Amino acid sequence: MTHPPTRPLTHPPTRPLTHPPTRPLTHPATRAATRPSSRAAVRPRRGRPGRPAVLRRVAALAGAVLLALAGTVATAPLGAHAIDHSKGSPGFCKSSTGVTVVVDFQQLGGTTIVRCNPRGSRGTGLDALKGAGFQIAGVQRWGEAFICRIENRPSAVEKLPIKGNEGYRELCIDTPPAAGYWSYWHAGNNCAWTYSQWGVKNRDFIPGGFEGWSFSLNATADTNPRPRIAAVRPGTSGRPCTARKEPKPTSNNPNVKQPGSSGGTGGADGGGTGPGSGTGTDGDGDGDGDGDGRPDGAQVPGTGQGPTGRQGALPPPKPRAGTADDPGKNVAFTGGENAPDVNQVIKKQSGASDYAPWAALAAAILLALATWVTALRRRRARHW
Amino acid sequence: MGAPGRRATAWAGGYFLPRDLHPGAWWIWTLGLAVAASRTTNPWLLLTILAVVCFVVIARRSEAPWALAFRIYFGLGVLIVVFRVGFRFVFGGAEGSTILLTFPEIPLPAWAAGIRLFGAVSAESLLGGLYDGLRLATMVICLGAGNALANPKRLLKAMPPALYEVGTAVIVALSVFPQLAESALRVRRARRLRGGTTGKRMHVLRTIVIPVLEDALDRSLHLAASMDSRGYGRAGTARRRARFTTGLLMIVGLIGVCVGVYATLDGTTPRFLAFPVLASGTVVAMLGFRLAGRRVRRTRYRPDRWRPAEIVVAASGVAVAAAMFATSDVDPTNLNPSLTDLSWPLLSWTPLCGVLVGVLPALLSPPPETPHDHHPPAAAGGIPENVPERVRA
Repeated sequence: MTHPPTRPLTHPPTRPLTHPPTRPLTHPATRAATRPSSRAAVRPRRGRPGRPAVLRRVAALAGAVLLALAGTVATAPLGAHAIDHSKGSPGFCKSSTGVTVVVDFQQLGGTTIVRCNPRGSRGTGLDALKGAGFQIAGVQRWGEAFICRIENRPSAVEKLPIKGNEGYRELCIDTPPAAGYWSYWHAGNNCAWTYSQWGVKNRDFIPGGFEGWSFSLNATADTNPRPRIAAVRPGTSGRPCTARKEPKPTSNNPNVKQPGSSGGTGGADGGGTGPGSGTGTDGDGDGDGDGDGRPDGAQVPGTGQGPTGRQGALPPPKPRAGTADDPGKNVAFTGGENAPDVNQVIKKQSGASDYAPWAALAAAILLALATWVTALRRRRARHW
Repeated sequence: MGAPGRRATAWAGGYFLPRDLHPGAWWIWTLGLAVAASRTTNPWLLLTILAVVCFVVIARRSEAPWALAFRIYFGLGVLIVVFRVGFRFVFGGAEGSTILLTFPEIPLPAWAAGIRLFGAVSAESLLGGLYDGLRLATMVICLGAGNALANPKRLLKAMPPALYEVGTAVIVALSVFPQLAESALRVRRARRLRGGTTGKRMHVLRTIVIPVLEDALDRSLHLAASMDSRGYGRAGTARRRARFTTGLLMIVGLIGVCVGVYATLDGTTPRFLAFPVLASGTVVAMLGFRLAGRRVRRTRYRPDRWRPAEIVVAASGVAVAAAMFATSDVDPTNLNPSLTDLSWPLLSWTPLCGVLVGVLPALLSPPPETPHDHHPPAAAGGIPENVPERVRA
């Protein structure tokens, strides 16, 4: 009953908004050529003042190995803030463009953060999270495919009272235990939160919808806590939920993408990297026509339409079981405006010193010199 | 390092008299550093460990053939790093957001899902490969240091009697690589002296590889003959069945110990593989030792003793490992630097000072005996004669 009225409502406003920005980035013919430059425009490689001197000293130390190290390290931009305020905006998204990201620390303590990633193009859950400005850390084993820390919580020095190991500390080396990890949720606007069956890199966020991160401590699959912010954008409450139900993964292969997902590479601005022909099973072949590499009939009505707007391509949006929580019961939240700089916090927590790396470098250089001198003396003694 | 050694002798009561240390001490020191390296991917720490290892090896290695193989381990380490980083180029390293360069990606069929050929390469994944490779390379170089510093033949002498069968095999295997390296050096030098350096590649291969292989074969036959004549591999009076049981117990026990040690050191393996397997493996192996030791009676000529210098060397290695374990409990943040947003890896003082303790053997152990102190020097630039084996066993 609900879909006839919603389709006309959602389509016209979103299409003009979503298409123009994505097209130049993702047109198959120009994709390879434009990406590096578009990246440079979005994220200028920050300068490297004073770096060459460091480089030279390191290179003197041990040749090629270190050169490689220094070369790659030298490209590292310095200092990111806890919340990268250059990305996203605090609070809920104002319109149906973009995705609202909710990070609920639950029992870790700390005020829930709600930020908006205003991006109109499609992208993975990881793009949504990063694009909203959150600082995340993956695990060493899986990289960013498994989110281990958000805003440095749980930090490496924080004791997590998980069952059976009260003093557990999250080192983010291997997959975190099932008793203490960031659970991943999503919801369309005005929909109930759904525990994601897909990995963060394997599904696309719902434009105009919500991405939720809620720390699950000593919870089971049934008692995983939902984010305590209702998935309702201000001013839209009372409208029906129209998100399409996502298919469940059919295999355990962690690399399988959700059918029709953009297959973004996880870059903060990598949403345009999807293959020109999507793997969507429900696409009807006009996927290349709109040039944004997105198969038709993808997850959300209103975004999968080609310029021709063939309505038949879309499966009818189904009303979702369950509705959103009452926004009146939302917990207090901020936009993360006053969050401390994650790098500073880490530095303080770890007791790292500004001078220790220099001391290490100096020690290594001294030892290398001593090695050289000793080798010379021994060689001379041998041939005397 | 002769001069400071001699000067120090005056006040240290013979502590610094040139001698070869107990090989076990060097192995404990080496393994301590290798364990420390295995705990961290922080490049500052790994570089410091590398510098420490190189310095101690150069200062304290003897002139024996196995000591000259150190540079080969070093080359192996460089190769490991190059490969690790190279694979990130080939099999897609797009983890992270700082894309450095983009190769055209080679599309693969659906059954190869999860494998990516080329494509974007990010600084984060390159650094990840570099840190990881550096860690493995440091561990390999540490093992090379053990091979360079410890005399494998004397290590065999120090083995408990029950371990002779296993120990012999292990030590023969361990010394093959240094022996090959030494053979290659010798053959190349001889070739150069003969003036046959110019030639086609195949010719070079024939004139180096074949003599080296032949040399290695000859040597192992010699070794086998000499060990046979000294009673190694002698089954004694034990019955076949008893020998089978002992062997089985020892092998099962040693496998258990290996798995347990691996799981203890690698933080990502399930914990039930760590201590329980290590403990039960040790128990089984000890049982095997006891059984084997009961029937083996061997005497030792001039056994190597643990003197203060040996204890200092071993303790410094243990201290490095202990410092790293302590830091990973107290402040684990910097042992595995995060690659999520690129920044210079942080470092705190505790692990750094801990690693620097490892340099003590270069200062606080007696220098090795040099054959040149006793023999007239060989003509400079000539072929050094086969270095006399100073194995007093």
